[in-house]
Amino acid sequence: MVPIKTIAIVLAATILIALPLVVKNAFALDICIRVLLFAFIGVAWNLMGGYAKQLSLGHAAFFGLGAYTSTLLLIRLGISPWIGIVAGGVVAMLVSLPIGWLCFRLRGPYFAIATIAVAQVLMLLFLKLRDFAWGAEGTTLPNLGNAPLMMQFGGKAGYYWLALVLLALALAITYRIERSWMGYYLVAVGEDEDAAEAIGVNAPRIKRDVYLISAFLTALAGTFYVQYIYFIDPNTAFSFNVSVEAALVSIVGGIGTLWGPVLGTILLEPTSALLQSTLGSGRGGVQLTVYALILMAVILWRPTGLLGIFTDTYQRIARRG
Amino acid sequence: MAEALVVRGVSKRFGGLRAVADFSFSVNEGETVALIGPNGAGKTTSFNLITGYYRPDAGSITAFGRELVGLPPYEICTLGLARTFQVARPFGQMTVLANVMTGAFLRDRRPHIARERAREAIRFVGLADKENALAADLTTIDERRLEMARALATEPKLLLLDEVMAGLNPSEIDQAVGLVGQLAQRGLTIVIVEHVMRAIMAVARHIVVLDHGQKIAEGTPRTVVGNPEVIRAYLGTGYAHPHPHATD
Amino acid sequence: MFSTVAQAVINGLLIGGIYALVSIGVTLIFGVVKVVNFAQGEFVMIGMYISFFLATKLGVDPLLSLAISMPALFLIGVLLQETLIRRVLGLGDMPQIFLTFALSLLLMNVALLLFTANYQTVHTAYSDASFQVGPVYVSVAKLIAFVVAMLLSGALWLFLHATDMGKAMRAAAQNRDVAMLMGINPNRVFSVAVGLALALAGAAGSLLMPFYPAYPTVGQVFTLMAFVAVILGTLGNVTGALIAGLMMGIAESLGIQFVGADSGLIVVFLMLLVTLAVRPSGLFGGWSR
Repeated sequence: MVPIKTIAIVLAATILIALPLVVKNAFALDICIRVLLFAFIGVAWNLMGGYAKQLSLGHAAFFGLGAYTSTLLLIRLGISPWIGIVAGGVVAMLVSLPIGWLCFRLRGPYFAIATIAVAQVLMLLFLKLRDFAWGAEGTTLPNLGNAPLMMQFGGKAGYYWLALVLLALALAITYRIERSWMGYYLVAVGEDEDAAEAIGVNAPRIKRDVYLISAFLTALAGTFYVQYIYFIDPNTAFSFNVSVEAALVSIVGGIGTLWGPVLGTILLEPTSALLQSTLGSGRGGVQLTVYALILMAVILWRPTGLLGIFTDTYQRIARRG
Repeated sequence: MAEALVVRGVSKRFGGLRAVADFSFSVNEGETVALIGPNGAGKTTSFNLITGYYRPDAGSITAFGRELVGLPPYEICTLGLARTFQVARPFGQMTVLANVMTGAFLRDRRPHIARERAREAIRFVGLADKENALAADLTTIDERRLEMARALATEPKLLLLDEVMAGLNPSEIDQAVGLVGQLAQRGLTIVIVEHVMRAIMAVARHIVVLDHGQKIAEGTPRTVVGNPEVIRAYLGTGYAHPHPHATD
Repeated sequence: MFSTVAQAVINGLLIGGIYALVSIGVTLIFGVVKVVNFAQGEFVMIGMYISFFLATKLGVDPLLSLAISMPALFLIGVLLQETLIRRVLGLGDMPQIFLTFALSLLLMNVALLLFTANYQTVHTAYSDASFQVGPVYVSVAKLIAFVVAMLLSGALWLFLHATDMGKAMRAAAQNRDVAMLMGINPNRVFSVAVGLALALAGAAGSLLMPFYPAYPTVGQVFTLMAFVAVILGTLGNVTGALIAGLMMGIAESLGIQFVGADSGLIVVFLMLLVTLAVRPSGLFGGWSR
């Protein structure tokens, strides 16, 4: 007999894949795409911020590098974003090395502060690059209509499936890491770096490695995002909100868990979209006010995240049944 | 007999404080050596110097013929030196098994092998019934057991135990002494920092006495106990009434 | 050339006094309570709006409104410690960082909802006044802000060294147990420390108001400046934070003068990153490991 878990997974996957064939409402599909994208960024952040407790508040640096690398390649050299997205990931990895070298000397809050500084420096740098990267005005991406080879799709469905693939990729990587020696090492470093080193964990190397993976994935999201909204400028690409949201969805959902960031995004992203559509985007501040309140509530009452509530309930039901 | 660990002329200052001064001692392979001395004598500092947490200002430390000074703690562990911390430092959010597996991964990256070896170490220290408990929920003695199992899982040749018996009751001390004895019988080289004199007498064949960062005596338990310098250093403390919650 | 440099240094030094006030607050909270306050800049913002509304609604001079903004922020600080910070003490980095971080987000966005993103300014008789010393022009409003900032820093130093409560704070910064041994209720010490830190932020806000616009996100720059200053000056070290705060002001001003109007922050951040590279323990002592 096929186990129930397998049936559930196949069923869920089918629904997720078939969703854009059923849902034709552009607004609803847009929310779904944003959920998938930010869940993806959250999963990427969580690898390093959740498992290894290296609380970065500067992941916008990699999002922006991915976005700018693919866009520069596309507009300056006409290279397809499919190549650009990988190039962006590689650039992000290369940049993560010196950033890590600098910031990993610091622990806890100082690390978070240093990562903010790095992301800000990159944003200010791209504001200065007027000729090379369009400075503060940014640029729109050429609209090629339905051009899948250039990562542009006629409708939203194409973007939806791409975002779904990205999220699945990040979850698969996390799943593999979680179950391997690397997952144990990451959690050990997050719990107590000195004690981890005492049992042979090369903490500097494991932090560097997970930073490479996390930076690479976050950069993919950057390319995807500019391809989706057809526009890039430093304030969008290196937006502090990206750094915040990456951490936020993980913490709300469940830091250091496979599904935490996904759950967090499912809760937060539609809330914010609905708030914006009902209150109008003119009234700035509502979305982040709500986010801040949710974050504070989670930290004060359930610092391990909301995922635990679901798994506890599931286990209670499973035990009874 | 070959020397497992040689500490030669090691010194360490913190600001104006001289923590360890021109300290030398050596441990032969398969031997159990105890490092004793009053609070603040420099015992834990010595451990931190040997295991790479502090870098000595002067002197050299070699283990199995390799110079350790300048190596980070994880490389020293890879060379076969494992330590426990004076205040146990379990990974609280991991289970006992996961804690020990993390140690076992040093020698084999395959999870099923690491799990097997971790279970062996857990069984040895007597924690088998708690392998799925969260480390944060353990009692003091179980934390110490976990700490030892985690160190053993790295398959060390030399084990440095920092006050593993502090805070234990007499019967728990007997159990711990038994464990250390078994490890010694397996041929493991052991350096033990301890305040509990009864335990030291039971496990160590050789004792090094530190006071104010300097070695004041060394020898068999019998000769050390009779040494007037040692008696002076300990007068009124330590030896006569072992302090149960002694810290360094 | 000399006069340009001198002018930039003076401008930077004067604004650096404000950075120093904010930085001392951050370092005080960190030293005593062991929490990094990501919302420190937002309390500067609150101080600014208090002075702004007192000035526009009641005609109170921003400098006089110090007498209201400081006690008000002190009370907010005590409240903050008692209701929020206290609940995450000893829970590790994540809750501590993200609690004050969420607070910063909340205050910024509530201010946005209440006051809109518009720049609000207060014009006083001395707002545009300046006098000349040799080749250098000195803004009266900035000079007053600087002098008051230094007086407040001095007063804090005296408090930390001359009163029992202050000594308890310094002891707590060294070692929590020592403070308890001194027989002083640690919760009271914590509350007063957070209160004082916020009072300094409030003072910074009032002092800025005559020459600096108030807007909801104005605090971000001050938080970032304070963080850099506090890392350079070694966390928990009040004198270090003071000197580093002044240095940040000068560095930013020189950056604006010689690299470009929007490059002040780049220079400051680069300073931080270079410092981390060559001296990760800060300029005035060690903290990491």
